[in-house]
Amino acid sequence: MRKSWLRDYIIRRLFYSIIIAWGILTVTFILVRVGPSSPADRYLANLAASGQDVTQVIAAIEARYGVDRPIWEQYTDYMTNLFRGNWGWSFSTSMPVIELIKKHWIYSFQLILLSSLFAAFLGILIGIYSAVKQYTKADYTFTFLSFIGISIPNFWLGVMLILIFSVKLGLFKTYYDTTLPLFSIENLKALVLPVITLGTGMLAAYVRYTRSAMLDNLRKVFVTTARAKGLPERIVIGKHVFRNALLPLVTIILFDLGSIVFGGAYLTEIVFGIPGLGQISFKAIFANDYPVVVAVTLIGTLVVLLVNLVTDIIYTYLDPRIRYD
Amino acid sequence: MNATHHHQRAAEQSPGPSHFAGNVEMDNVVLKVNNLKTYFFTRRGVVRAVDGVSFDLKKGECLCLDGESGCGKTVTALSILGLIDSPPGRIVCGQINYDGLDLVQCSSRQLRKIRGNDIAIVFQEAQSALNPVLTVGDQIIEQIKLHRPLNYKEARRRAVELLAEMGIPSVERVMNYYPHQLSGGMKQRALIAMSLSCDPKILIADEPTTAVDVTIKAQILDTFRELKAKRQMSLLFITHDLAVVAEIGDRAVVMYGGKDVETAPVSEIISNPKHPYTAGLIACLPDVSKATDKLASIPGTTPDPLEMPPGCAFHPRCDRAMAICSQQQPPRVAVSGEHKVSCHLYG
Repeated sequence: MRKSWLRDYIIRRLFYSIIIAWGILTVTFILVRVGPSSPADRYLANLAASGQDVTQVIAAIEARYGVDRPIWEQYTDYMTNLFRGNWGWSFSTSMPVIELIKKHWIYSFQLILLSSLFAAFLGILIGIYSAVKQYTKADYTFTFLSFIGISIPNFWLGVMLILIFSVKLGLFKTYYDTTLPLFSIENLKALVLPVITLGTGMLAAYVRYTRSAMLDNLRKVFVTTARAKGLPERIVIGKHVFRNALLPLVTIILFDLGSIVFGGAYLTEIVFGIPGLGQISFKAIFANDYPVVVAVTLIGTLVVLLVNLVTDIIYTYLDPRIRYD
Repeated sequence: MNATHHHQRAAEQSPGPSHFAGNVEMDNVVLKVNNLKTYFFTRRGVVRAVDGVSFDLKKGECLCLDGESGCGKTVTALSILGLIDSPPGRIVCGQINYDGLDLVQCSSRQLRKIRGNDIAIVFQEAQSALNPVLTVGDQIIEQIKLHRPLNYKEARRRAVELLAEMGIPSVERVMNYYPHQLSGGMKQRALIAMSLSCDPKILIADEPTTAVDVTIKAQILDTFRELKAKRQMSLLFITHDLAVVAEIGDRAVVMYGGKDVETAPVSEIISNPKHPYTAGLIACLPDVSKATDKLASIPGTTPDPLEMPPGCAFHPRCDRAMAICSQQQPPRVAVSGEHKVSCHLYG
């Protein structure tokens, strides 16, 4: 009742989201097709070796996959199918795209979820500590470390971690073992290095964001009011200051979830051989498996749009001053 | 019975500072500040924000701390509550006696029990003194629950009563409002209600009338006057405005350069100021009965807190300065029973 305007706002935003998703889908669809490559390319070497007529076979394969038709026709076809819930056929893995995604999404999800939790939890704690202890040795140390953390490219970090902890020390396997059951200690252990790889950059960023958001609020008069009430420092910092610092933090954390995480997660999956969406998308690009590439991009788009919407809604609860009408 | 009650109320509300001053007993001191020095150790040097302030706050009186901005009024108030940011600030000497305790020596745990419970403070700008993301109700309830063994419902009822007592309309709705949904005057009242929530024995008001407009200012002064009469509370009222002092104070402490330069009942201060600085302040008050183009002012500016003049800090601006003023700090002299002044003219 209090937020009746919020429902209208959500409906409006969902409508915009559909338009944006459609736009991105169209651009992706066109981009992957304008290149000179074809899904038949990967057969070329074999074909040439066996002395067959290459052009004829390519034409046959393209006809089979339907990529010989005009691009406009393929586009309308794809969109109609998508609208009906049919995500297309993956040429390279010979299965429906939707089946492929169902099989692999969980690997990306667990990696992103664990990395975000790890980064947000530790980053916020360190950030708060750093702000409260501003200009102490601890603060300088954390600020310096976070600067390094932000600067390290995560694919390099992943390779270094494997070299040190897997190859030299033998603490972990050098690749991700897909045979492990998802909800097991072994699986968690297998994810330690990938989570550190993906989480470190975010962690460092969250330390800095939290520190500055806390510092912005620590010297405000309402903090002195809170102390003058007789509240213990734990509540002054944890409730009065942090609630105010949370506003910019939520935006950044959830926004990162949409952007940094997706790029970073794909690279991390490839480095550690985790069969997630990044991995299949990566392979699909080299196999010219258009439907998979477009589908994975679409999923990424939808997640980002959804997360942004959720951020805006959470915001209205965190900051009572915000209204979107 | 109704008639007598009415009479009593009328008597209590009769204006005039002399009325309350007469009621105050000599040794009825609730808070004794003795030679308080609060310094800030900054990179540029030591700021002696409060440099030897002494005064007594008596039961049921309104004591005004008066002086220009930067003279150490607010730092004195924050020192009493142990709210000086450290580093860079530190109380380097002095005692603050309350209820058999020296607040300067108290542990932070002891201080937390006193803050908001025995000694409460109302800050200048209600807009920034209230937490923008918590409802007014929650902020009051939080304080009540901290110091009183009440459950949420009881604490809420108490908060509602307090807001109603402060003359806030449709209280139940206002409880769920966030600060930005209230007007300036309402915010100030909510803040006062919050400070009163645990029946403090001492209420410190740090320039509560500075950030509001003239009508609200009059209302807030009325509120404080009523509160003092009704609750037998001691009020430490910080202001730079002598007109406000005249209106609400029983006694006043005039501060300059981190020191108390003159302490006296308000009527004495106004009619018979001893310190040249106090006299200057009073001469600056506009007199509406005379037509004038120019308001009087004290020559010179407030001294740089990093480079306080030696001797009496006021001597560079003083028209009655003598040779000794720049060499020695003036002693505190009693010119009459309750009238003390720190000036070589009376030494």
